[in-house]
Amino acid sequence: VLPLRRRAGAPSGSPPPISGARIQKLCDRVASSTLLDDRRDAVRALKSLSKKYRLEVGIQAMEHLIHVLQTDRSDSEIIGYALDTLYNIISNDLEEEEQEENVPKQADDLGSQFTEIFIKQQENVTLLLTLVEEFDFHVRWPGVKLLTSLLKQQGPQVQQIILVSPMGVSRLMDLLADSREVIRNDGVLLLQQLTKSNAAIQKIVAFENAFERLLDIITEEGNSDGGIVVEDCLLLLQNLLKNNNSNQNFFKEGSYIQRMKPWFEVGDDNCGWSAQKVTNLHLMLQLVRVLVSPTNPPGATSSCQKAMFHCGLLQQLCTILMATGVPADILTETINTVSEVIRGCQINQDYFASVNAPSNPPRPAIVVLLMSMVNERQPFVLRCAVLYCFQCFLYKNQKGQGEIVSTLLPSTIDATGNSVSAGQLLCGGLFSTDSLSNWCAAVALAHALQENAPLKEQLLRVQLATSIGNPPVSLLQQCTNILSQGSKVQTRVGLLMLLCTWLSNCSIAVTHFLHNPANIPFLTGQIAENLGEEEQLVQGLCALLLGISIYYNDNSLENYRKEKLKQLIEKRIGRENFIEKLGFISKHELYSRAAQKPQPSFSSPDHMMFDHEFTKLVKELEGVISKAIYKSSEEDKKEEEVKKTLEQHDNIVTHYKKVIREQDQELEELKQQINTLKSQNEQLQTTVTQQVSQIQQHKDQYNLLKVQLGKDNQHHNSHGETFQMNGIQLEEVSKLKEELEEWKNKHELLQGQLREKESVIEKLKSSQLEMGTTEQSSQAGKSGGSELNNELQKELETLRSQIQLQSTEISKLQSENQKLQLLNAAADPVLGDCGATTAKNSEVEGRLLQEVKELKNEVKALSEEKASLKQHLDSSNSTVAILQDQKSKLQQEVAESKKEQDDLLVLLADQDQKLSALKNKLKELGEPVEDEDDIESGDQADEDEDGEEEEQD
Amino acid sequence: IKIIVIGKWRLGVGKSCLLLQFTDKRFQPVHDLTIGVEFGARMITIDGKQIKLQIWDTAGQESFRSITRSYYRGAAGALLVYDITRRDTFNHLTTWLEDARQHSNSNMVIMLIGNKSDLESRREVKKEEGEAFAREHGLIFMETSAKTASNVEEAFINTAKEIYEKIQEGVFDINNEANGIKIGPQHAATNATLAGSQGGQQAGGGCC
Ligand SMILES: Nc1nc2c(ncn2[C@@H]2O[C@H](COP(=O)(O)OP(=O)(O)OP(=O)(O)O)[C@@H](O)[C@H]2O)c(=O)[nH]1
Ligand SMILES: [Mg+2]
Repeated sequence: VLPLRRRAGAPSGSPPPISGARIQKLCDRVASSTLLDDRRDAVRALKSLSKKYRLEVGIQAMEHLIHVLQTDRSDSEIIGYALDTLYNIISNDLEEEEQEENVPKQADDLGSQFTEIFIKQQENVTLLLTLVEEFDFHVRWPGVKLLTSLLKQQGPQVQQIILVSPMGVSRLMDLLADSREVIRNDGVLLLQQLTKSNAAIQKIVAFENAFERLLDIITEEGNSDGGIVVEDCLLLLQNLLKNNNSNQNFFKEGSYIQRMKPWFEVGDDNCGWSAQKVTNLHLMLQLVRVLVSPTNPPGATSSCQKAMFHCGLLQQLCTILMATGVPADILTETINTVSEVIRGCQINQDYFASVNAPSNPPRPAIVVLLMSMVNERQPFVLRCAVLYCFQCFLYKNQKGQGEIVSTLLPSTIDATGNSVSAGQLLCGGLFSTDSLSNWCAAVALAHALQENAPLKEQLLRVQLATSIGNPPVSLLQQCTNILSQGSKVQTRVGLLMLLCTWLSNCSIAVTHFLHNPANIPFLTGQIAENLGEEEQLVQGLCALLLGISIYYNDNSLENYRKEKLKQLIEKRIGRENFIEKLGFISKHELYSRAAQKPQPSFSSPDHMMFDHEFTKLVKELEGVISKAIYKSSEEDKKEEEVKKTLEQHDNIVTHYKKVIREQDQELEELKQQINTLKSQNEQLQTTVTQQVSQIQQHKDQYNLLKVQLGKDNQHHNSHGETFQMNGIQLEEVSKLKEELEEWKNKHELLQGQLREKESVIEKLKSSQLEMGTTEQSSQAGKSGGSELNNELQKELETLRSQIQLQSTEISKLQSENQKLQLLNAAADPVLGDCGATTAKNSEVEGRLLQEVKELKNEVKALSEEKASLKQHLDSSNSTVAILQDQKSKLQQEVAESKKEQDDLLVLLADQDQKLSALKNKLKELGEPVEDEDDIESGDQADEDEDGEEEEQD
Repeated sequence: IKIIVIGKWRLGVGKSCLLLQFTDKRFQPVHDLTIGVEFGARMITIDGKQIKLQIWDTAGQESFRSITRSYYRGAAGALLVYDITRRDTFNHLTTWLEDARQHSNSNMVIMLIGNKSDLESRREVKKEEGEAFAREHGLIFMETSAKTASNVEEAFINTAKEIYEKIQEGVFDINNEANGIKIGPQHAATNATLAGSQGGQQAGGGCC
């Protein structure tokens, strides 16, 4: 079933007059009859009259019908008739159809007047909202239609009423879930009216999952092959997304972009597209453009662009671009869509550069498109779309710009001439006889140079072979030649825009331009002459070009120095006259249109005059050039001087900044070193504690040993009991041996620990040395650390040698012990046959006694060594303390250097002040002064630019 | 999961700032009055599952109240925000809570947020009072600072976790989108237990 609004077949012609009494009688029946059947019949009768006698029924019955809606809710039939009648009264749909059939318009806008009456009581709308919730088809359907009509007549007011009635919008969203297609489809139409330019409602509808529902419907209906329902859904989606950033963000975050991709899988048999399909696809493409419009916030657009690449939507669009048999208007809109999907988005631009047409041999899509741009037989809108696409490809794309320009450079030109390059096509267009091609190629080339100074220089190298026998001329020369030959305005405007873009911000190009002695006389001639209105634009552009030649002049050509050119203006043109001519550009009627948005769109080919990016350049340069012209050479000089001092100050500031940065770094390093030192110190301390306790142990053991030795001596003194004594001795010796063994181990341990300690100290020393060096580099440099370390090292050395001594003594002790043992062993057998060998025994005994004495001495020496060892450890302990002290000194020094940094900062602030004072002076002098902030935070500046752009758009 | 952020008007309690801190890790010192409702989104991971929080930041001004009410029904969670340095914002909580309860799905998880915890010196509402109010009304409670980002992550993630637990307990009907929960198709294979992962949970924002 078609939505009612598209139904035709309304009665036409003026109806025969009717007595008001008859309608009044029906109204009375509706109002006073107690029988439901009777009231129902009366309402039905009113309904049948309401189309023909709209005014009469409206005036007399409205009130009664509303009453029925309020009181007869239990009977869906009478409610249905009442709603239908109200719809007939309020809706202008039938009337519109009649108008299409050229029937003169009836009373002026009855519908909106009746609507006003109906909504005066807000409850009426609220009542209607509850009726629309009713499931009964006879109530719901006319309810939806009536509400849609009310919205059509008095949108804002009805929207407001629905917005403030609890869950009003949400309840209407439920219509999309109705299984009856008629209601669902008319629900879409209702929502279309409801969401028209009301962001708050749009957001609520989106919140209620409208995207999901609508995308589902579109899929169910077969995407672009679907009928008018798809069209209606697309229009509703457009309402929800256009200029609504919050909803766009939700659409993207909800991963709905991915669901657009299948829309563009149109297959290969592209013949015989239905009108509906063309309409649907058109809307689909527009929906993509809504999401990536250059007027959206830059962040929003770029995230959508990326999503479109990642889900393959861009790739799908490029397929359509290169397919055959696509209707021209769809192709044009696809090109515009691809343009905005790639605009300023590097990955998308890179992808686009890689797309090839499925021709044999494959040609880059860019080349194929440019061919259409410079082809006179292609439709104008298509050529504009291609230009837009090319501009978007180059927008903020230095890589792409470089690639295009490189196809023009002598070194890369394909000598075989097999394949056409972008550069060749542009040159061809630039110098063809078709002025539209001239203009498009000039603007396209200008976009390849936009904000890219290196390429402006590169392009100076391009040489063109004109005719056989003549030497090649440079591209710049050829442009000025054509200019001076007086071709069509469009051609000259295009070339002048190219030259202005080329020369701006590129002194070398200015020099090249001035080098041709014909150029300046030509420009002054053009500006000075009094020409007709159509020449005014050319005059303005010539003035701009001359201004650029002055403003970006580096005075490298003696005859065309700044002052000389200015004198020339004064003499030949007059300053006032020059400024007036310059003003012709921005006062031109087509200028502001082009400034609005990046897309080139012109109502007719003759209106193709200004390029959007060029209008930005004019805005930027108009003021500064005027100022530059009025400035005397003295002022110029002064300015130069101020510039120089400014530069100097800049240098100073940069220098201080560098110093601070360096100091910061040093500070950081020092801090780190202190941390390492700290931890090393800790380690050292624990080692020392361990060692002290071990020394204590050793001492204890020594004492024990001493006691035992004393005992031993006693035994030796008591003669006569050699046997026993020998036995004891034997025992004692083995004990001694054991203890010695233990001692030896302990010593080894001690030595190991000492070694460890030594290496720690070594590390400490080296790090301290390092620190010393860094500090030296930062300021005076600090000694002390290394001195301390030397001391430490010395002490360590003695400690070590003492330990060595100890260890040799220990080994001596050991060998003595061994001897003792041997002797003991020898004594054993002697003791075996005791009687015979007493003499021998006593000898042995004496010797043993001596050995033990010696042993005792050794042990005493050993214990002395131990004591000294302890002492050394103590001293190393104090060394550690000194080290700690040193560390705190270092910390202090770090603090000092921080302070110093603060002082520097103060100095900097001072410097800044001076700077701004200077800047102010400069400003007073009328020189545009770049704020330091702008220079520093390039990003921010970029954003600001974007902002401006938005405003322009 | 849809979550809404709600709270009281005039001078702003910091709802938009909370959202901005959560989605962009930024703080905005100037009060940019919210008109109607604004949308924000972020992916989080709970239990190894990717969950997309969709957050609607509502206007606190009384005049937008009828608009913001439309967002209760479809939200799975709400952050009810007051400003600890302004007692009146705390005193209004009962009204907002009633409003939220009345218009929302009964399972909606509500978290009470005392914002601007960085302004300790100007505190007018004690932390204990917030805790007591939350206990009394069965809400989760947390103090946050959109300025220092303290607890901001936690506030949103804990709300999402609570919702997630309710989903697993079967309290939410995940097939009814009106509950503010949508199962994402893309990871269906990875969470067999949940018959699909939470690819598209949504958070609706509320206002205080
Ligand atoms: N110190 C501090 N200031 C905050 C904090 N959060 C927000 N603010 C400030 O409070 C003001 C209001 O913040 P918004 O987030 O815009 O408030 P809002 O609740 O969204 O306000 P409405 O949109 O009008 O309802 C701003 O000036 C913020 O800078 C915070 O945690 N600490
Ligand atoms: Mg806000």
